[in-house]
Amino acid sequence: MFKDLDPILHSQLRLAVVSLLVGVKEAEFTFLREKTNATAGNLSVQIQKLREAGYIDVEKRFKDNYPQTLCKLTPRGLNAFEEYVKNLQDYVGKGKVKK
Amino acid sequence: MIEKQLSEQESLNIITEMIGKAKMHFHESGASTILWGVVISFCSFFSFAQSFWKFDIGFNIWYLTCVAIIPQVWIVIQENKRKITKTYEESAIDTIWMVYVITIAAMLVYANVTYFTSPGILAQNDLEIFSKNVKTGEIKPFKIFAPSFSSIMMAVYAFPTLATGLIAKYRPFLAGAGICYAFFIVSLFTSFTYDMLLSGLAAVCCWLIPGLMLRRKYLDQRSGANV
Repeated sequence: MFKDLDPILHSQLRLAVVSLLVGVKEAEFTFLREKTNATAGNLSVQIQKLREAGYIDVEKRFKDNYPQTLCKLTPRGLNAFEEYVKNLQDYVGKGKVKK
Repeated sequence: MIEKQLSEQESLNIITEMIGKAKMHFHESGASTILWGVVISFCSFFSFAQSFWKFDIGFNIWYLTCVAIIPQVWIVIQENKRKITKTYEESAIDTIWMVYVITIAAMLVYANVTYFTSPGILAQNDLEIFSKNVKTGEIKPFKIFAPSFSSIMMAVYAFPTLATGLIAKYRPFLAGAGICYAFFIVSLFTSFTYDMLLSGLAAVCCWLIPGLMLRRKYLDQRSGANV
């Protein structure tokens, strides 16, 4: 029996953001934009969705008089990501393609 | 990156790619490592020269390490300004180097304070240590000092370098730490003069060479990012 993939994570940009945050303690908005090649507007929207789902923490502060947005994966986000990867492996491993 | 319906394989590809990108991101400029490699090796080689050719410049060359704290603070401020991410490994490495700085400071305090306090502590037990010149037979009060202190310092130099090398899986640090431990063992059998020579070489192997290699890697990444 296959579980449905988490709709919050099953999106190209949101998945990319969470995958980046898995490997780091915290990252600035500029780092996420640089690595995903996303537009600032689109990235902001997807970060907001992840934040609303409780998957990431977003902290806004000032660094040298410039606004800085720091993103960090929450334990809930990490659990969701691990569950998502496990379900993906089940799908891929058993050769079943679910659209 | 545009939004589209993902297949399972595409999802796995994104995860792999992004985790790889986060891993590849490198912003250790090597500036601190080069700075301390230069300062410690210079002070050590200078001490060796002073001891070997018997001359005195009127002040302790190791005071330069205190002066080097100023550019170190500037480097840390500049690097923090440029930093756009912090990895778990960097946090662990920062903690190790912070503990190392405290350890070095504590060791220097130990070496300098015990030199003055030991006679008093011995005197509380009605004891005093004397040294005897075996040629002249002259006996005079002996001031205790930490024997082969520079050997201990070399072992301490190797510790954060080895830990950083293991965490970051960076071979130049591992090699530098290995050489430093080897010099530590050799220095147990050599006089202060040659301990200083070994100490200088240890700083070159531990910090200066890996620092220059880090710097090159960092500049390569920056030039790649600017293309």
